[in-house]
Amino acid sequence: MSLINTIWWIIPLIITIFTGSLCPAMGTVLITHKRLLQVNLISHCVLPGLALAMALGVDPSIGGVISGLMGALAAESLANKKNENYAAVMNTILAGSLGLGVLLIPLLGIRIDLEAVLFGDLLTANAGDLLRTLIAFCTFICLIFFNYNKIVHIGLDPEGAAASGVKVSYLNLALGFTTALVIVSSMSAVGVILVIALLSTPTLLGLQKASSLRIAMVRSSIVGLAISVLGFVFSIIFNLSPGPLISVICVTSLIFLLNKK
Amino acid sequence: MTCLIAKDLTYSYSRQSKPVLEEVSVALRPGTLTALVGPNGAGKSTLLNLLQGQNKPDKGEITIDGNALFNNRPQVALMPQRGKLNWSFPITVEGLVSLGRVNHSKLSCCEIEATLQRVGISHLAKRRLDSLSGGQQQRALLAKTLISPAKILLLDEPCSALDPPAREEFLLIIRQLADAGLSLFVSSHDWGSSLNAYDKVVALDKTVLANGSPQEVQQKLDSIDCMRGNYCCG
Repeated sequence: MSLINTIWWIIPLIITIFTGSLCPAMGTVLITHKRLLQVNLISHCVLPGLALAMALGVDPSIGGVISGLMGALAAESLANKKNENYAAVMNTILAGSLGLGVLLIPLLGIRIDLEAVLFGDLLTANAGDLLRTLIAFCTFICLIFFNYNKIVHIGLDPEGAAASGVKVSYLNLALGFTTALVIVSSMSAVGVILVIALLSTPTLLGLQKASSLRIAMVRSSIVGLAISVLGFVFSIIFNLSPGPLISVICVTSLIFLLNKK
Repeated sequence: MTCLIAKDLTYSYSRQSKPVLEEVSVALRPGTLTALVGPNGAGKSTLLNLLQGQNKPDKGEITIDGNALFNNRPQVALMPQRGKLNWSFPITVEGLVSLGRVNHSKLSCCEIEATLQRVGISHLAKRRLDSLSGGQQQRALLAKTLISPAKILLLDEPCSALDPPAREEFLLIIRQLADAGLSLFVSSHDWGSSLNAYDKVVALDKTVLANGSPQEVQQKLDSIDCMRGNYCCG
């Protein structure tokens, strides 16, 4: 009864619901556009921006989005060059960015709970975290609502889309920006590292036999929502960290469903 | 009736590199099925991209009914090579076809069905793209190209992954489209008897080696030693 009477869990639960449905929807777009490696790069690039923003007394999420966006631009530029060692270069930048972020924390003398940033700390989430999540959610909805057909066209046939007048670079940049926003917003729920699980696993399940991107996004969101809420409830019951728990449930559900198949 | 004329096109991918096309001239007239043949690296795809307006030639000009291509790009549609598409994307055949008009006027489901009927796959409208055979996928892609407002269709190696029966069926469909008044320019590696299905043939290897009826082009190429063996894969 004490759990119901106290409301400390309301904000974390709302964040869980929004993050649990937003990340898989975003992941569906990114996986169908074959951009998951770029997401990984963006998520690792967030850390140096967070550290710098904190040192400058700015909202850390602003710094995180800016450095994430820089990661997105680097990824875009590398992808356009079509280097055959593209994946290796991306992974090098990814590791370097994470290393830079970890180095900046003691160098700038800032106090930051690195574990919470990397792996999430949902149960201590506050109104600021909720606001970030809502902003990311609204940005994603706007991006999809106004550009759905163009996003489908780019995912299917990027050159054909460009030839028919779709501004592919502009939309890819908007996708990169929204991805950075989603990653930063899900920092409190699952952390910038474990967010990859929430972006990928529900999508893999939602994509099966989906006849359109829209249907795949809705299915993925439902799966992601179920996984996130389950992780949230288990974390309270068993007094465990929700981020890693959600990631473990992601892997378990994937193994279960793949075996069933 | 729409007529495309390209005159003395020269193109290189960068200032330092050698031109991939040199003084290429072609004319595409309504109701004509034209083949574009040449070995790998001959510049076929590059030429099609120029004719569609994706890239601008370093020299030369492209006009449609006497007007610059730049102002008439919707008149030309390009069907890309198979490898350029993400075939695992979650989309149905009718979803794919509707993308042919993303930046143009809205279309009704009747238009989609009519277009699918023209290429003989209206019964597959609700099927996911990755559940189709190679030949059906190519027809779906042709339908996407066909639903655009374009009167000039450029097809980049549409038969490359098709078995002979599927290739014959595809050729039959594009022949019907040409007979209906469209102008089709089809690139191909196939230098065999199937070229007789075309009205005109353009043989390209950085520059136009021969241009005319299939028989004329065949005779001219037979007289060029370097062509023997290099082109023959049909």
